Amino acid sequence: MNLTINGNPTSIDDAGIDPGMPLLWVLRDLLGMTGTKFGCGVAACGACTVHVDGAAIRSCVTPVSAVQGRSIRTIEALGSAGQPHPLQQAWIEHQVPQCGYCQSGMLMAAAALLATVRSPTDADIDAAITNLCRCGSYPRVRVAIKAAARQMADRPRRLARP
Amino acid sequence: MKRRSLLLSGAAASGAVLVGWAVLPPRSRLGSPALWPTQTGAIALNGWIKVAADGAVILAMHRSEMGQGVHTALALLVAEELEVPLQRIRFEQAGYDAIYGSAAAFVGALPFHASEREPGRESTTLRAARWMTVKLARELGINVTGGSASVADSWEPLRLAAATARALLVGVASLRWKLPVAELNARDGVVSHASGQRAHYGELAEQAALSRPGDVILKPAQNFRRIGRPAARVDLAAKCDGSAHFGIDVRLPGMVYAAILHNPMLGGSPGTVDVDAALRRPGVERVVRLPPLAGASAALAVVGRTTWHAFEGAKALDVQWSVPPGGALESKRIEAALERAARDGAERDDGVAFWTRGDARSALAGSARRVEALYRAPYMAHATMEPMNCTARVLDGAVEVWAPTQVPGLARAAAAQVAGVAPEAVTLHLTYLGGGFGRRLEVDVVAQAVRIALETGGRPVQLVWSREEDFGHDFYRPAGVALLRAGLDDAGRVTALAITSAGDSITPRWLERVLPTFSGPFDLPDKSAVEGLYDLPYDIANQRIAHVATHSGVPIGNWRSVGHSHNAFFGEGFIDELAHAAGQDPFRFRLALLEGMPRHAAVLTLAADKAGWGAAAPAGRARGIALHESFGTIVAQVVEASLDGKTPRVHRVVCAVDCGVAVHPSGVAQQMESAVIFGLSAALFGRIDIEDGVVRQRNFPDHPLLTLAQTPAIETHIVASDQPPTGMGEPGVPPLAPALANALFILSGRRLRELPLAL
Repeated sequence: MNLTINGNPTSIDDAGIDPGMPLLWVLRDLLGMTGTKFGCGVAACGACTVHVDGAAIRSCVTPVSAVQGRSIRTIEALGSAGQPHPLQQAWIEHQVPQCGYCQSGMLMAAAALLATVRSPTDADIDAAITNLCRCGSYPRVRVAIKAAARQMADRPRRLARP
Repeated sequence: MKRRSLLLSGAAASGAVLVGWAVLPPRSRLGSPALWPTQTGAIALNGWIKVAADGAVILAMHRSEMGQGVHTALALLVAEELEVPLQRIRFEQAGYDAIYGSAAAFVGALPFHASEREPGRESTTLRAARWMTVKLARELGINVTGGSASVADSWEPLRLAAATARALLVGVASLRWKLPVAELNARDGVVSHASGQRAHYGELAEQAALSRPGDVILKPAQNFRRIGRPAARVDLAAKCDGSAHFGIDVRLPGMVYAAILHNPMLGGSPGTVDVDAALRRPGVERVVRLPPLAGASAALAVVGRTTWHAFEGAKALDVQWSVPPGGALESKRIEAALERAARDGAERDDGVAFWTRGDARSALAGSARRVEALYRAPYMAHATMEPMNCTARVLDGAVEVWAPTQVPGLARAAAAQVAGVAPEAVTLHLTYLGGGFGRRLEVDVVAQAVRIALETGGRPVQLVWSREEDFGHDFYRPAGVALLRAGLDDAGRVTALAITSAGDSITPRWLERVLPTFSGPFDLPDKSAVEGLYDLPYDIANQRIAHVATHSGVPIGNWRSVGHSHNAFFGEGFIDELAHAAGQDPFRFRLALLEGMPRHAAVLTLAADKAGWGAAAPAGRARGIALHESFGTIVAQVVEASLDGKTPRVHRVVCAVDCGVAVHPSGVAQQMESAVIFGLSAALFGRIDIEDGVVRQRNFPDHPLLTLAQTPAIETHIVASDQPPTGMGEPGVPPLAPALANALFILSGRRLRELPLAL
């Protein structure tokens, strides 16, 4: 089975891989990419959010067969140490995470939002960020998304890969 | 029963001679360099601090980071006294010596009243009991991240360890350069002299380790440069790029994965099991029968190639579950029994009186006006975002465990017991915790993982509970009921307060699971069940606050803020009722009862002022207020809410807090936000229903949490204080529910006395 993950062609040994196996577990348990988290298994919490062709999806209910040949992006490639995504910078600037477990999913959901809505309103953020956070990072998530949007508007396109 | 006299007589007998020992920790609490598990790569100056060759500082981290920012707060204490930038401090997991044990959490369990605890007014009895408890706790050396106690516990030993290390390093420079200590300056990890001499700590450490410090004096607060100032958390970069390492992220060569299936009926076990279908599934290799372990019921574990294979295998198990020996639990029936227990207890002056003053019964009978109300709270789940998990490997008699736990020492002991080895044969790697909230004070999943690892031929195994197992087999916040009665005089002053609450004992049940040797044949009265209700700060001349301990059979445990979580709702909801009954403003009514409690009064007033109490609320909105002390920290909150039909909408929560010295003020604000949101989830949605023995809520769709869209604006205002710091992990939770209920009363005219709040 061939996947494109974070721009890299990745092949997985088909043996014993049910095409119905969710992408989440392919990433975490077969490929060792543990940045994407398991939270509920029923697409309710968003901890497993990744991008498929730029759109935020919940990988815990997405069969791996459905994403063959499509572009998958995970938290590991949202930015890099040298060139963090503006959201990652804003996340640190506004001290968003607490336990941090839901934050990969939060960031991926936020990145997908900013890729389509350059200057999101509160209502846009409310609608797009349905991820659950038990620690209560929500107020800072909102502030940081707006800050990142402002920064991306000031530095158009260069960093804002979809 | 006079529990307090019983409990405290021993302490009092020890006398006040010994008081003061806890105030300044002796050098022995710094521990020896030999306590470090690894001796390579850096020089240990004591049991807390090592210095690397490049001058970086390594702190023995004795508390678990579960989001509360404890790594940052503790590092700040060291940074302050050692004069080293926060970024230059790394952590190594602390060992198991008693110096790393908890004391403040145990002191917090002492049944003292708010009026006896006020700084500067502590009674001899209280001081003696505190001293005894601290001493005993230090002997036991149990390391618990809980009870909002980490900063309180670390305030003196960590600063002293850092100051002592600095004195050693400066002393070495003084000898080396033949310059007086007083002329040397330690800053940013470098010792220097006006003459141009400089050496970073790494260049001084080896010799420092061989010398003895002179007098070590802690900085006075006015000289703090880092404590109380803004600081970025030390753990956030890794939490923004997916590299933070939680327990569930452990990946080891040859690792297999396990899923678990408990009897859906609480307390039940598997009966006959047909494993064929499960074993026929690809990627499933075995099924392990687990005995009851550390509070978990007997269960089945399915081992597979990935978590998903194991989950799918568990779904394919064909099990005839046996009905638990005690029969099927029903939360409705239990809650009705609690109500009867509270009513009967009140009728007969039954139960353990945790606080009496004057004669509540006569005063109540003779009062001009009586108010009576019954309050209720349901069972609740922890629902940490990181599901329960643990990774274990048992190979050639060596046991290795990777666990996100609030109790590494107890987890190690549990692992050792299951594996049949000594605790020293177990290596426990503590990871980040994806939330704790008290659920990870339990060691059930650790014991299960080790038990499974006994059967995987030396290969490591990672056990992950599904979310359904997590909701269905938690150690829940116990349900509680309180009957509250008060008497008012003609002027509307409260003359009598009688409360009888009923509920299961929390601490004895927890001890049975995690520290069975401390568990006796009968339960001692449990302060945690009644905390925040027997010790109201209000000056009421006649009081009897009693608790009837029940034993429902439902697995219960510590849930963020423990007894305070429901008792604040009972107490502060009822006080609000009394204010309205007296025809007085709820803020002023409380303030008038706080004459002898200046810190409480200041916190309440600050919240009211900042919220604009007294001025009209925006159209369609109303404000409710509540005040609550827990874990030594006083919090007042003003909730501004409106109603959309019958649905409450919270717009703004203004918080004031006195937590002593605010070591990391932005961390204080962050924990307050966390607590408000956690408290709102509970107040609006939190409930666990048990029907025919089975928990009805199985996953987030049945058990909503507050969402971003529902989150109010939250403001935190900190009262300046020179008192030693108290905790912040929990104290913001308790006042939220009553403050909201009090606002909803203004909006709807209906007094809500049951959680979750529903009109």
